[in-house]
Amino acid sequence: MAITLWNLFETSILCLNAICILHEERFLAKIGWSATNVNPGFGEYPSVKSNILNLIRSIRTVMRIPLIFLNSITIIKKLLLG
Amino acid sequence: MNFNDQYNRYPRGSSGRKLIKRPLETPGLQSNSNILQTHPNIGNPQYSQMYSENSFQNINKPYASNFTPNMKQNEYQPVSQQITGFNVSNQAHILTDPLVTNMAIQYGQALVGSGKQIVDKEIEKYVPLSRLKYYFAVDTSYVSRKLSVILFPFIHSDWSIKYDQNEPIQPKFEINAPDLYIPTMAFLTYVLLAGLILGMKNLFSPEKLSIEATNALGWTAIEVIIQLLMLYIANINTNLKTLDLIAYSSYKYVGIIIVMLVGLLMGHLGYIICLIYISVSLAFFLMRTLKLQILTEPVTTQPDVYGMPQQVSHQIGLKRRQYFLLFMACTQPILIWWFTWRIV
Repeated sequence: MAITLWNLFETSILCLNAICILHEERFLAKIGWSATNVNPGFGEYPSVKSNILNLIRSIRTVMRIPLIFLNSITIIKKLLLG
Repeated sequence: MNFNDQYNRYPRGSSGRKLIKRPLETPGLQSNSNILQTHPNIGNPQYSQMYSENSFQNINKPYASNFTPNMKQNEYQPVSQQITGFNVSNQAHILTDPLVTNMAIQYGQALVGSGKQIVDKEIEKYVPLSRLKYYFAVDTSYVSRKLSVILFPFIHSDWSIKYDQNEPIQPKFEINAPDLYIPTMAFLTYVLLAGLILGMKNLFSPEKLSIEATNALGWTAIEVIIQLLMLYIANINTNLKTLDLIAYSSYKYVGIIIVMLVGLLMGHLGYIICLIYISVSLAFFLMRTLKLQILTEPVTTQPDVYGMPQQVSHQIGLKRRQYFLLFMACTQPILIWWFTWRIV
């Protein structure tokens, strides 16, 4: 299983898609993983869970628009070249 | 007052309109004398400053600045024609004046310098180019000592890095500092060696070289990204930068080269023995080197409430850091095995 550049690209697209799919209100709030209601006090370190949720939220915010273009490119490439 | 001179220089034609310019073989001559005639203050040092300021405005607003000096001297001539003629010839001749060209050159150089600074600052935000050169400041004695430490870490006793906080340490002066020279050379040697071994089995083609290189680079990139993610999620603050992580993850290429050579020369049993030894020594090397950097929080000397500087070096989240260290050390043998099993 050699890692080629295209493989790397596809892997990252798949992983980022998976993270962006998790909907904030419909899913994450229901299982208590909403990133909005965690507020560590000043001087305390944020816990592992709050860091993960923050990461999910930032990835979702930043990568929404670029993922649209990257997914379209991947679809077109797979349609043309199999 | 030299109205007579101007009368002679610009003789009127039959129509009563004044000739703007006499055609000459050397137009340059005429331009210089023209300036001297209309601006008698040019040789005067106290007026040169005023003149040079005016000359800049000359380029942008030809009519506004030329109006006042010309008005006094052109009272007996048709004003519009004379001023138009002066403006055109003055603009063309401004750039040949040495004062103006010097200033233009300096201005242009200043612009280029500041543009270059802005570009460098933007690039520095994403790729730390200025720190890169510290990682390549090595010499042969450092390289030989470091290689012996990687392969026989049990002998080495002092693992601490002595450096000051802000400047990255040059590996020439400190054997425990990470460098990027050995990883780069080891990676290239690994790619070539893999091509050689494939050729000995008649499986070689030139594309295999690039496949190998991309494969190794991809695995290194995945490893470094996973380590960065773990450092962020577990909220571990260290002094380690991304380039340091890349360097530490790529030290295993040295081990991979040794394993491949031994496996080539001594067959399957030698390969297994060497693999185990290299894995243990590399894990030991990494754990010892990174123990001091990961297990303790970086020293911050913020003044506390009473204004006295306090040193914060207690250990926060010790369990997380130990797990991270273990993870880093254990992925090395797995990856070494993954890279070399093809010659088994």
